[in-house]
Amino acid sequence: MKKKLWDPVFGGIVIGISIILTFYIAGRGLGASGALTAFAATIQNIVSPSVTQSSQYFSKYFANGANPLDDYLVYLVIGVMIGSFIAGMVSKDMKLEVLKGPNISSKGRLWYALAGGILVGYAARMARGCTSGQALVGGAELSVGAWAFMFSIFAGGFAVAYFIRRQWI
Amino acid sequence: MIGPLVKNGIISDGVNTLFAVLIGMLFGYALQRSGFTNSKKIAGAFYMKDVDVPVVMFTAITTASIGLWGLSLLGLIDLGKFYFLPSYLLPMVVGGLIFGVGMAMGGFCPGTSIAAMVTGKIDAMVFVGGFLLGSLLFGDLYPLWNKFYNSDANGVWRIDQLLNVNVGLAILLVTLLAVFGSLGMRKLQYKFWGKND
Repeated sequence: MKKKLWDPVFGGIVIGISIILTFYIAGRGLGASGALTAFAATIQNIVSPSVTQSSQYFSKYFANGANPLDDYLVYLVIGVMIGSFIAGMVSKDMKLEVLKGPNISSKGRLWYALAGGILVGYAARMARGCTSGQALVGGAELSVGAWAFMFSIFAGGFAVAYFIRRQWI
Repeated sequence: MIGPLVKNGIISDGVNTLFAVLIGMLFGYALQRSGFTNSKKIAGAFYMKDVDVPVVMFTAITTASIGLWGLSLLGLIDLGKFYFLPSYLLPMVVGGLIFGVGMAMGGFCPGTSIAAMVTGKIDAMVFVGGFLLGSLLFGDLYPLWNKFYNSDANGVWRIDQLLNVNVGLAILLVTLLAVFGSLGMRKLQYKFWGKND
């Protein structure tokens, strides 16, 4: 039996405290998308270094022998994986599964997941961050751009929700 | 000890890295215990079926905002040594719209997909794969959107500057928005979907 979830206000307070801690200790916010992009760039640099080196965006990741994986956000994301794994174990929510609504096949759901991932991967770079690094951290910093980003996320999601409802409800 | 600790030379880079892993663990633990490894729950926000995602986001933002401001008033942190995010308004609005479409389709955002992947959610693993492809698409074809990406640059631009009020009042306004936004969305959830879903 899965453990009951935290109250959302309590969960929000704990996440807020983790943002305060990164600022108090490191003087910066947390984030997730930067680490994934560093990982993508590293794989591409191994598979096809010429493409990476000729990319105006990615070449600076490796300038002067730099290793993009030796980055604050990468260490943080390693922690996220450990923390979520522990939470999954203690709450008995650890199972290979595809979560979806009742009206779509698992295969259909995975195509949506892939397409959504591509869009989010692109958009996180365009917006210079994601829900963590831009919306939460920037939101706490009272950044106008971060608040505009967050409201735009909900606008985009609400706009498309009706058309993809068979996936979820 | 006045923060930021690493920039004030109180801890080394190595210790800072260790703390990064520990804070990440707290963050990941909280994401999983808040139910954010479940794509159905996250997507539910876009149908007002389960508004826990925006409630957690609003609470996290106001907690961090009040906490950081309070610590600076107490003289425990030096805001001058913070890295503040710059606003590129139009690219962030367009990025946000695409992000929202992708989040409703994919059922995750980057942080939640990482947390869900390690608890065995196959849709999260596929989403992460898509994310890697999408960010490579952005970076490899960068000249196509280079100009737009760097447009509408407003530097560090905060709500208190936008409204021309002091920081305390801006935080109060944001907190009120968060509280009433959360309560209002919860009310809509109960209205559309009932209380026991």
